[in-house]
Amino acid sequence: MELNANAFGRNARKALLDKTLQEALGRTTGRFQAHRDAAVAALPEFEATRERASRIKGDVLDHLDTYLARFIEEAEKRGTIVHVARDAAQAREIAARIAWEEGITLAVKSKSMASEEVSFNEALQGAGVTVVESDLGEFIIQLAGEAPSHIIAPAVHKTREEISLLFERHLGEPRTDSIPELVGMARKHLRAKFLSAGMGVSGGNFLVADTGSVVLVTNEGNGRMGTVLPRVHLAVVGIEKVIPRMADLPTFLRLLPRSASGQVISSYVSIVTGTRRAGDPEGPERMHLLLLDCGRSAILEGKYREILKCIRCAACLNSCPVYQSVGGHAYGWVYSGPIGAVLTPLLVGLPEAAALPDASTLCGACADVCPVKIPLPDFLLELRSDAREQGLKTPGEIAAMKGYAGVMKRAGLLEAIERIAGVLGQFFTKGKGISGLPYPFSGWTERRDFPAPAAEPFRKQWKIKRGVTR
Amino acid sequence: MNERESLFRRLSAACGERGAAVEEPLPGGAPTAPEGDRVALFAKTFTAAGGVLLRGPVEKALSDLGEMLRSEGVTALFFPEDDAAAREIAEALVPFGPFNLTTGAEVRGGSAAVTAGFRAAEAAIAETGTIVETSAGGKTLLPGLIADVHVSIVPAASVVARMEEALAAFTEDPPRNISFLSGPSKTADIEQTLTVGAHGPKKAIALMVG
Repeated sequence: MELNANAFGRNARKALLDKTLQEALGRTTGRFQAHRDAAVAALPEFEATRERASRIKGDVLDHLDTYLARFIEEAEKRGTIVHVARDAAQAREIAARIAWEEGITLAVKSKSMASEEVSFNEALQGAGVTVVESDLGEFIIQLAGEAPSHIIAPAVHKTREEISLLFERHLGEPRTDSIPELVGMARKHLRAKFLSAGMGVSGGNFLVADTGSVVLVTNEGNGRMGTVLPRVHLAVVGIEKVIPRMADLPTFLRLLPRSASGQVISSYVSIVTGTRRAGDPEGPERMHLLLLDCGRSAILEGKYREILKCIRCAACLNSCPVYQSVGGHAYGWVYSGPIGAVLTPLLVGLPEAAALPDASTLCGACADVCPVKIPLPDFLLELRSDAREQGLKTPGEIAAMKGYAGVMKRAGLLEAIERIAGVLGQFFTKGKGISGLPYPFSGWTERRDFPAPAAEPFRKQWKIKRGVTR
Repeated sequence: MNERESLFRRLSAACGERGAAVEEPLPGGAPTAPEGDRVALFAKTFTAAGGVLLRGPVEKALSDLGEMLRSEGVTALFFPEDDAAAREIAEALVPFGPFNLTTGAEVRGGSAAVTAGFRAAEAAIAETGTIVETSAGGKTLLPGLIADVHVSIVPAASVVARMEEALAAFTEDPPRNISFLSGPSKTADIEQTLTVGAHGPKKAIALMVG
């Protein structure tokens, strides 16, 4: 996927002015959050499960070489052909070669964020393969020629009218404003694809080391279709998705659907292992697994190792006030929200995405909901500091932050400024935010409004509230 | 050095010095086993997942099922050739029809008839409201995959409390496919509106027997 992360400021401004998107975001994130909170509250062991999952993932990352080797050995034992790609270019080359050698002309694909990282579809299309996205949301945005805007709800920015228009134009279906009818149209169209495709492409939520299994979590059943019906199955998965044993899987299955959509469990969980066995009436004759490094081993080596614990639930997106305001496209790459603001710079290089760690308020909501306890706000702050050390911040921003810190440390100076600002601010802003300040403070107001100063400074209000008078 | 060796060299270097890997599952993984009747709990969780549970006297369950299938517009009943439990139920439903019986390949080819697929489940999980169907022993997954309505035949004795118990049978040498089915196929990809039947069955029915 094309990278446009450093344009976050411009992208965000555009998103804030997009009325359709704003309505969609308003409808979505709050609902996801409410469902998630209710599901978590209903499982008394949630905290213990979360703690356990975080420890299991920590053990995996400390011994990724051991667990990955175990996984590969078990997978190969059961007929899986394992490929390893160091980077995106290699991944594309391998995928194209697999398709060519297997004689594939049509592939049905279920959701895989990892495949978006390497521009997988373009690679297969370049090899003459038609790739059809089968997740309904992904299918819709593929027809629209767009990129996903949410990890688990990729078409959240599209209305039913827009979708009906797309189905009319691309599938020849009559216009309708009935959502079940739209779903039925996609079902009919995609069913024909499932039945005729030579290859099913999937991602993988978990790789089970002690059995060599790939685990897929879906609600629609497309992942299931694509891994049972076509002759060849290709799974594209990041190397960090390994869990040690089948016995650990329930822990993660208790966390993922609850954190993602507030479900106790998703409609479908498929645990697929190797090729079809002798006597099986269906299932793929050939199973390929493409393991992606693509920057992960480098992350493993550094101080951000724990980000590789992520199970891609998107709870951090839904809880993030910045994501809630601007949606996924503004982040300019595959991953959005707090996880994207940390993972993107680490995967593509900080200079290419230095704007993203700033795309947060450090409110901490993401860390509160993360099912594997990744310290996202700490990482965001650390990345900001890395960006500054590498000289990736504008001098204006650095000067503004220095001035801010200098004032905040001197109570007398702060008080004087507060008094003046309080009077002037009330006069000039009429209680609204300040959207333009002179240099060096323009480093702040270029991308955000500074709240209007209160008539009475906070510290004075606080003293009055506590009954301290001077 | 090939790509795989090179990856493992990078990983070993990145992991650096460390203690031993944890060789046993960490203790305390599963929630406390639910108290009381597992079947009753399954009824609750399966219904919450959007499934329909039928139990009680066979005659009554069959007539309820027949009516349910007719109201979904079902005209074909599909069961695997070698699945005796599924065959028995499908055949017993014919008087409640009009239904045609089929074990055939036309279903795989995308039959035009509205089809109910019957299959004996291997287990059910009370914790999550899940039906477990696998490809072990050459069983087909098609009744729960491509039919419009799926009817799982679940022996009451096969209901386990938690996911751990259901997976315990497969920790050594799993079959190609272990499927957890929890209610109908769902999507909320259009305007966050929950809609059934995205790809899989629009209706998931569990018929509890024994």
